[in-house]
Amino acid sequence: MGNCLKAQSADDISLLRGSETQDGNDQALGPPPPYQERVAPRAPIYYPSPNVSRPANLLTEDEQVKIAKRLGLIVHLPCGVYDGCSKKGKECAICMCDFVMGESLRFLPCMHTYHKDCIDDWLMRSFTCPSCMEPVDAALLTSYETS
Amino acid sequence: MTSMEKRLQKELQALTKDPPAGVIVNTESVSQNMSEWIVDLYGAPGSLYDGEKFQLSFKFSPRYPFDSPQVMFIGPNIPVHPHVYSNGHICLSILTDDWSPALSVTSVCLSIVSMLSSCQEKKRPPDNAIYVKTCSKNPKKTRWFYHDDTV
Ligand SMILES: [Zn+2]
Ligand SMILES: [Zn+2]
Repeated sequence: MGNCLKAQSADDISLLRGSETQDGNDQALGPPPPYQERVAPRAPIYYPSPNVSRPANLLTEDEQVKIAKRLGLIVHLPCGVYDGCSKKGKECAICMCDFVMGESLRFLPCMHTYHKDCIDDWLMRSFTCPSCMEPVDAALLTSYETS
Repeated sequence: MTSMEKRLQKELQALTKDPPAGVIVNTESVSQNMSEWIVDLYGAPGSLYDGEKFQLSFKFSPRYPFDSPQVMFIGPNIPVHPHVYSNGHICLSILTDDWSPALSVTSVCLSIVSMLSSCQEKKRPPDNAIYVKTCSKNPKKTRWFYHDDTV
């Protein structure tokens, strides 16, 4: 133990916190981890891919383009307000809550519906539908071409 | 309650009320803030793991369900399986690259049960010895290359 290579992904160390604070062995191995993530970040955090989080000022050029593209595409996805019509589904698969009259929803091209806040959060990480894994941008581009 | 706690609360209710075969959540293990669970898994009848009991540890970040949970086998009995390392780490793509927020504790457990059930021969992954020596404690830190799913 103790020779864990740092070769693995250096992203998102926050997840390790749980196991490290709980496991007494770790403390003996070296200085405690710097709890940098507790300091309120000044730049907003973006997720170029689901497992990669980075403050806006540290994004690579490619990642900036990727995120700008996503932001641009998200606004083209139709949204609406839940009107009690069950044809659009009744539950958001992300928060597992039933839709309530008046809540803002977003409709994906695959016909899956989510709370706007829930799905936008996910789309900033991955441009796929959580329920059917359909890539959202591919469907979006086809719908442009056909309309 | 945070949205992570709210969602896990719902999952816990559903899983205790209507558990799938061979999956029993240890409700006493669930921490106050919902961030750590232990789930008991039982090898499916007729499979190579028939009659065996395993324990899965789940750890959730505050960003769950956008972040995948950290899932591994713990306890005295780690299944001998080509995708399960002897330290409990599991090579299963939905736990990292193929995670989706529409997945849940239940769907993860069911995938693992079916992964065990389809096993033809009890053996460790070929790179077990070196992996266990060099890996991070958090299986999510591993850049997995996924073995083929037919095993
Ligand atoms: Zn929702
Ligand atoms: Zn869909």
